[in-house]
Amino acid sequence: MAGLIQNIALFGENIPWFQGLREKGLEAFKHQGVPTAKTEAWKYTKPRDLNADDFVMNESNFLLELAEEKAECHCHEKSCHCHEDGCHCHEEGCHCQDEINVLVDLPFEAYQLHFYNGQFVPIYPPLPRGVEVMTLMEAVLNQEAKNYLGKLVDLANYPFAALNTAYMEEGSFIRLDKNTKLDKPIIIVNHSETGEQNLFYNLRNVVVLEAGAEAEIVEWYKYAGAEKSRYFANIVNEIFVARGAKLKHYKLQNEAFKANHLALNMVNIKEGGKYEAFCLQRGANIGRNETKVILTEEQAEAEVNAAYIMHGWATLDTTTDIEHLAENTISHQLVKGVVGGDAKGVFQGKIHIAKHAVKTEGTQLHKALLLTDTAEIDVKPELEIFADDVKCSHGAASGELDEETLFYMQSRGIGREEAKQILIDAYLDDAVNKIADSEVRDWFKEMIKA
Amino acid sequence: MTMIKRQHKKEDIMTNTPLLEIEDLYARVGEKEIIKDFNLTINEGEVHAIMGPNGAGKSTLSYVLTGKPGYEVTSGKVWFKGKDLLAMSPEERAREGIFLCMQYPVEIPGVPTTTFLKHAVNAVRKHRNEPELDTLNFVKMVREEGKALGIDNEMIKRPVNVGFSGGEKKRLETLQMSILKPDFSILDEADSGLDIDALKVVADGVNALRDGHRSMLVITHYQRLLNYIVPDFVHVFADGHIVRSGDKTLALELEEKGYAEFVKEK
Ligand SMILES: Nc1ncnc2c1ncn2[C@@H]1O[C@H](COP(=O)(O)OP(=O)(O)OP(=O)(O)O)[C@@H](O)[C@H]1O
Ligand SMILES: [Mg+2]
Repeated sequence: MAGLIQNIALFGENIPWFQGLREKGLEAFKHQGVPTAKTEAWKYTKPRDLNADDFVMNESNFLLELAEEKAECHCHEKSCHCHEDGCHCHEEGCHCQDEINVLVDLPFEAYQLHFYNGQFVPIYPPLPRGVEVMTLMEAVLNQEAKNYLGKLVDLANYPFAALNTAYMEEGSFIRLDKNTKLDKPIIIVNHSETGEQNLFYNLRNVVVLEAGAEAEIVEWYKYAGAEKSRYFANIVNEIFVARGAKLKHYKLQNEAFKANHLALNMVNIKEGGKYEAFCLQRGANIGRNETKVILTEEQAEAEVNAAYIMHGWATLDTTTDIEHLAENTISHQLVKGVVGGDAKGVFQGKIHIAKHAVKTEGTQLHKALLLTDTAEIDVKPELEIFADDVKCSHGAASGELDEETLFYMQSRGIGREEAKQILIDAYLDDAVNKIADSEVRDWFKEMIKA
Repeated sequence: MTMIKRQHKKEDIMTNTPLLEIEDLYARVGEKEIIKDFNLTINEGEVHAIMGPNGAGKSTLSYVLTGKPGYEVTSGKVWFKGKDLLAMSPEERAREGIFLCMQYPVEIPGVPTTTFLKHAVNAVRKHRNEPELDTLNFVKMVREEGKALGIDNEMIKRPVNVGFSGGEKKRLETLQMSILKPDFSILDEADSGLDIDALKVVADGVNALRDGHRSMLVITHYQRLLNYIVPDFVHVFADGHIVRSGDKTLALELEEKGYAEFVKEK
């Protein structure tokens, strides 16, 4: 059965509050349907290009596992997935701990969480005190997710988030206690590859930073199989930044070039909380990273920066919506893109300043470099300012590579393509330099070159 | 030629091997024919100077030789080391050993000068089948070559030519030349905007490359530069081609009389 609404059994149907959320999600999605080009929020990134009917969902991984006999842990195999509660064996020949390094090579230290085609790989990193990481279903079963899940998502206006809610099962729940400071980033790696069928899957992550906590979360969407894999990843993150907490949130979208990747980040920031985000998109056929930040209390601050680079036929969309609901709140956005081939870059950026949100500051700048005559960008900045005494600005610009400059570089022996790459790197540099973590920054710079 | 002897005792090998041969060249920019019936042969080790009125087409010639887009050769041939130069891309020409010290060097915001230099050096080295320089050796080389030209570390950390003074831009051009060690350099008004001390510095940098094999084409309006970079031949360029050639004394004559005589000659 194809299409985005599929009749599959999910784990946790007997938990009323949770199942209730799913039902509301399904209803909201059915009511809205896949948006059309007439839907304002989807004016430029055409939903029909998602080819939504081409995908199927996997059976619930959890239900399949329950049906199987519980295997005992022998831990002699390289790909040991035995542990319910982490691997406790200290036997020789157990590669459980190795595998964390085997799974991905990172140029920095991080606690790694892995998903394959949207399904959790049960390797739990050893975490410091005050930090909890579990699967979404665990957090649903032990009720921890109850106060957070679905609280930030407006089902009526975000059809794909509604769809995600209808099928939520996989994902992670990350919570930091009051004043806990994470010593290294948590990275969530989603590896995708599809075989005979084009997979559609939903991922739902909940991140909770309690007052004064500090963390860094990195998301990495990568294809594990063929470059031509087609799949559809639909992701929703609900992020709660409490009073005085600080979250760095970096994302690398490097999906296979025929994949669809839709992500919605819903962020709620309380008094003096700070959220710093950077998203680099360089893969997928349709890639959309949408971020809604609500600065709910005074002195809340958000930096939502991004870069994208693409060729071929892709559409990469960066959509932001920053709501200033309180006095003295600050937001900054810098988004830069490089568009080649017949590709299309989309930036929709909204800043909303509520009536009583005086003395706020909101800035937004989008710049794109067009490499070909057939490359396209669509930009829609929106300012809704209902308060006086605010500092608010937005700007957009696009340009091309300068022929004089290219010739100058070529006349020094630098190949034309190499020269272009140097100029592209330089173009994206000021956006990428906004990443506060220098190791992640350097990694992203490498990814731009690759 | 006597100058060369004095400067390079051991390597005084004026071989008369042609390095660059330009035959019946015609070229245009847009609709306008600028180079017309241009002929010139430069042998290994020779330094030729070209002087001529504003707008004569001197810079155009340098762009035609380096392959700048928009400069269209309508007929004629150019041989460089016996190879068909006009068939090569700009980067191939550079890797083969042609260098243009530009009249107006280009600013490249966002690209540190070191990054730019390293890419250039390694592109040329790769072409010559030499191993690429690692950062350490690269930095060492730039520091050594830069020292003589008064170019410090601070300067090369900055984006290429951005905010450089006129003199600094010319010194950076000379640094690139010293690093890339081209067989044939075209200096397009390397002296413009330089004070007297800087002029000496640049000229010393250029002269350091003269070894009896490398050749140069020096475009200038002022005889003064030719006191420092002493040419074997001086040509007067007007109306798209060379109207008169002589030795270095021709430059002195031009300084006195101007171009009126030659411009009328057509
Ligand atoms: N892109 C262009 N389009 C049209 N005309 C051009 C272009 N570039 C150069 N020209 C014209 O070609 C002629 C030769 O210019 P060029 O710069 O080669 O002169 P030059 O001899 O180097 O002069 P100067 O001594 O002032 O540097 C000039 O008339 C100039 O206006
Ligand atoms: Mg000129």
